[in-house]
Amino acid sequence: MSLPSDIYSAFEDIVGPENISDKDYVMAAYRHAGPGAGGREKSPGPAAVLLPGSTEEVQAIIKLCNRRNIKYAALVSLFAAGRILQPGMIFLNLQRMNRILEINETDRYAVIEPGVRHVQLKPELMKRGLNYPTASVGPGGSVLANFIASGDHHMQHGASRVNRYLLSVEWVMPNGEVLKVGSIGNNAGWFCPDGPGPSLRGLIKGWNGWSGSFGIVTKVAIGLDVFRGPKIMPGEGHSPDFTVRFPLDRHKVHIFKFPGYDKLRDAMIEMGKAEIGFAVLKFFYATECALTTTSANEFFEVWNSGLYQRDLPFALWVYLATYSPEEMQYEERVMWDIVKEFDGQAVDESIRKKYDDNLDHMFVIVSNLQRVLRLGGGWAGTKLGGDSISQMFEVAKTIPEYINEFIEKKWIIDAPYNYQVVPMEYGHMAHIEMLSFFDVTQPGHPNVMMPLMQRSAETDVKHGFHTATPMAGNPAHGPLYSNFNLWVEKIKKAFAPMN
Amino acid sequence: MESLKDFLYTMTSCNHCGQCKWLLGPKMRSWKYSEVCPIHLRYGFDAYSGQGLINIAQEILEGRLKYEGGLIELIYTCLTCGACDVNCKSIRDMEVLDTILALRAKCVEDGQGLLQHKEIAGKIDQTHNIYGKSHDKRFDWMPKKNKLSADSSVAYFAGCAAAYKYPEIAVNTLKILDASGIDYKVLGSEEYCCGTVLWRTGQTEAFRKAAEQNMAVFKKQGIKTLITSCAECYGTFRGGYPRFVDMDIEVLHITEVIQKALTESKLKLIKKQNLTVTYHDPCLLGRLSEKYVPWNGEIQAYGVHVPPKPWRRGTNGVYEAPREILKSIPGVKLVEMPRNAENSFCCGGGGGVPAVFPEFTKWAVMERLDEAAGTGATAVVSACPFCQENFKKTSNEVLKYFDITELVAKSL
Repeated sequence: MSLPSDIYSAFEDIVGPENISDKDYVMAAYRHAGPGAGGREKSPGPAAVLLPGSTEEVQAIIKLCNRRNIKYAALVSLFAAGRILQPGMIFLNLQRMNRILEINETDRYAVIEPGVRHVQLKPELMKRGLNYPTASVGPGGSVLANFIASGDHHMQHGASRVNRYLLSVEWVMPNGEVLKVGSIGNNAGWFCPDGPGPSLRGLIKGWNGWSGSFGIVTKVAIGLDVFRGPKIMPGEGHSPDFTVRFPLDRHKVHIFKFPGYDKLRDAMIEMGKAEIGFAVLKFFYATECALTTTSANEFFEVWNSGLYQRDLPFALWVYLATYSPEEMQYEERVMWDIVKEFDGQAVDESIRKKYDDNLDHMFVIVSNLQRVLRLGGGWAGTKLGGDSISQMFEVAKTIPEYINEFIEKKWIIDAPYNYQVVPMEYGHMAHIEMLSFFDVTQPGHPNVMMPLMQRSAETDVKHGFHTATPMAGNPAHGPLYSNFNLWVEKIKKAFAPMN
Repeated sequence: MESLKDFLYTMTSCNHCGQCKWLLGPKMRSWKYSEVCPIHLRYGFDAYSGQGLINIAQEILEGRLKYEGGLIELIYTCLTCGACDVNCKSIRDMEVLDTILALRAKCVEDGQGLLQHKEIAGKIDQTHNIYGKSHDKRFDWMPKKNKLSADSSVAYFAGCAAAYKYPEIAVNTLKILDASGIDYKVLGSEEYCCGTVLWRTGQTEAFRKAAEQNMAVFKKQGIKTLITSCAECYGTFRGGYPRFVDMDIEVLHITEVIQKALTESKLKLIKKQNLTVTYHDPCLLGRLSEKYVPWNGEIQAYGVHVPPKPWRRGTNGVYEAPREILKSIPGVKLVEMPRNAENSFCCGGGGGVPAVFPEFTKWAVMERLDEAAGTGATAVVSACPFCQENFKKTSNEVLKYFDITELVAKSL
C-alpha cells in the first residue's frame, strides 16, 4: 500500500528525494521477518521509509503524520525492531542521525543520536578510558535504542541496568513538539536525568515505561564509567577465529559450578556483598556453547559431548577486571573464599580458557551475540524480568513448569537450564531471562515464540512473579504490581492516542 | 553452480541483525570507518545491503516482486565485494554473497541483465579480453629477453588488465619470478580472459564457457601451478572455477610466491625506499580468495549441515603475505587502515559496477582514499590491477598508488 502522492511529496519536501522511498523493492527489506520474530512474518511492510537527518525533520514528519492520520514507527538496526502491523504505516529509519554530539570526559557522559552503533561509540570511549553498560546485541545495534528500549546486560553486577545510566533526553513527542527531559530542559547541560520538578523520564524509560515506543527520542545522554581495559580493542586473527586478549593479570574470567540453585544464589549474593567482580552472573549454558563455537555443526559436537550439561546448569561466571595485578590477587582470594564456602568447583578448564583468548565472547561488545541465531534462526526470550537475586532464583525454579512440554515435543533445543540471572549494582537487584532455540525452517517445527511467552506468563501469574514487560506481557500481571498496566495504558492514551 | 532456490535457507533464516553492514567488533577502531557495506553506506536504505538483497532475492524467487524500474539497477549497484558475506559468516551459517550472485544469474536468466555487461561478454567472446582489443596484442607486454621454460608446469597468468592496461605489473612480476629462481612459462596466445566479470554479473553460461576453455588450455600445457598478479583472476580461479570445472591446479598470487621466496632466502629486497604506505586488501585476494569446495548436502534441523560443509568465511585469505613483503622492503613503513584484511572497504571496482555506475565507483574509491589518507601514509599499495585502475584515477600527488610488484621490483 503506497502513500497518496501528495503526502509522499510533502514528506519528500521534508527529507529530500534521496531520503524517502516507497519503491516496492526497497520496502522488501522491511517486510521480512526473522524466524524468531513472532508476528513479523505477517507484516504488510511499510508504505514508505524515510531517512530523516535531524530532530527538526523528525518533528515535521510527526506533525504531518498527525495531520494526515498516518501511523509511524521508528527504527535503526532492524534487529528486534519495530514492526509494521497495519497497511499504510511508515518507517522512520533514523540511521542518518548518527552523530556522537559530545563526550564529556570530566562529567562522564556522552550525548548521542539514535543512529550511533555500539561498534562506533565503544572504540571512541575506549580511546578515552571510558565505558558504558553495553547491551549484548552485536556491533550494529543502536546504543540509543538499547538505552530506551532494553535494559539488562552481562556486566551490570559492577555497574547497573542501562535505565540507571540514561541521563537527559530529547524527545519529539507524539504531538510533534520537542520535550527536553532532565537538566538539558533547563539548558543546564546533559548530565542529569531529572530537572527541577517532577521527573518525566519514566515516560520513556523507567523500569519498564513505554521504552520510547511513542513519539521519537532523538538524542540521549548516557552515563559513562571508567574502562579498565586497553585503549584499542586488541582483536587479532581473522574472522571468525579472532582472539581478543586482555592482560590476564588484570582481566580474568573464572567459571564455577555449584551443587544447586541455592548455593549458586548464595555465592552470587556474597560476591556482591564483597563488591568484587566487574561481571558476576549465572549465564545461559547453551548460549555459551553457541557463542564460543563457529558453526551449528560445531555447536552440536560440543553440546552433544554433554560437558556443558554436566558443568554449567548451576554455574557462576565471574569476570574480574581490576586496575592492578595486586587488586586482582585480592579479588581472586576473596572469590575463592566465597566459592569454597558454598561448595563451588572450577568447571572444566576448556570452557573457561576460551575467555583468556577472547574476552569479547561475553564481556566487551559481545561481537558474537548473533551466533545464538545460527541454530535455525529462531530464539525466544521468556521471563525477562527483574527483582531481587533470591526472587530471580525462585523464578528459575519454576521454568521446568512450562519449558519441558516444548522440549518433549522437540520444538526447542533440550536446554532447560538455558537461563541467566544477572545481578546489578553488586546485588541490589537482578535480572532473569530464559532463552530457547527453535527452527521454523523445518517441517513440523512451529514458531513457538508466542506460545512460550504465554506459558511463561501463566506460570508467573500462578506464582505471583513479575517478569514480563507491559508490551510482551499480560494484563493479568497488573494487579500483582500496583496495576501498572493501567497506568501505562493511560499514559499511552494521553500522549499518543492515534499511533 | 547453485541456483537461487538453493539459498532459501539463507533467505529464510536471516534475522536482520545487521552484521552484514558493520565492522566486526574485534576490529572496531573508530566512529568514522565502521561500516563495511559500500552500497548501504552510500544509499542508506536497507534494501541496499546484503540483508536487503537476500530479502529481494526471496521475493523474486517467490514471484512476489516484479522487475520494476530501478530494481535491476539496485541489484547491480552491489560491488559483490563480499564484506557482507564474511561479516555475516563470523556469526551465522549463511551464504549471503552466493545468494546475491545467484540472484544476478536469475536476472540474466530472466532476460534482465544489463546491456553494458552483455557488451563485455561479447568482447570476451570475440577477443578473449574484457576491453575488446586484439587478441594478437595480448602478449605485447612481454620483454623480448625473458627466459621462459617451455617445459615448466608453472605458468604466469597475466590477465586482461595487466596484459592490456598495466603491462608494468606483468613485467615486474616476471622480474620477481626470475630473481626468485623460479622456472615458469606463459600461456602465449592461449591465455584468455579468466571470466571474472561474467561470473560476478550473473552471466553463468558465458563464465562456464570461459572456465572450460581455460581449463582445457591448462591441461593441454601441463600446468600444475598458476601464478597470477591479479586479485580478480586469483579469486576467480579459486572461488569461481571449482563451481564449473574440475579445478585441480594450484593457484598462487605473486605475493604468496614472494613471501615464500623471502622466507627461503631465494629473494632479497635490498634497495631502500623511503615510504610510509598503507595496504589495501583486494576483495578477491583477501576475504573472497578461499578455495571453493562443492557441497551437496542437506541442512537438517537447527542448521546442522550433513555432511559438514566446508565454509568459506574469509579466515584464510591472503592477508599476511603482502604485509610481510612490505615490511621486508628497506625504508618502507606499513600503517593500517581501520578497515583492513577481511573488513577491507572495496575500492569500487568489483561486480561489473564501474561499467555501469562509474559515479558510484568514484564515490567508493574516494571513501577509501579518505581512509587511507587518515593513516598518515603517503602511498596506497595493493595487489590488483582493477584496484589500481580506481586508485590511479583518483589518487594524487599527496597519496600515490603502487602495485606491490612495483615496490618489490624496485627493491631488488
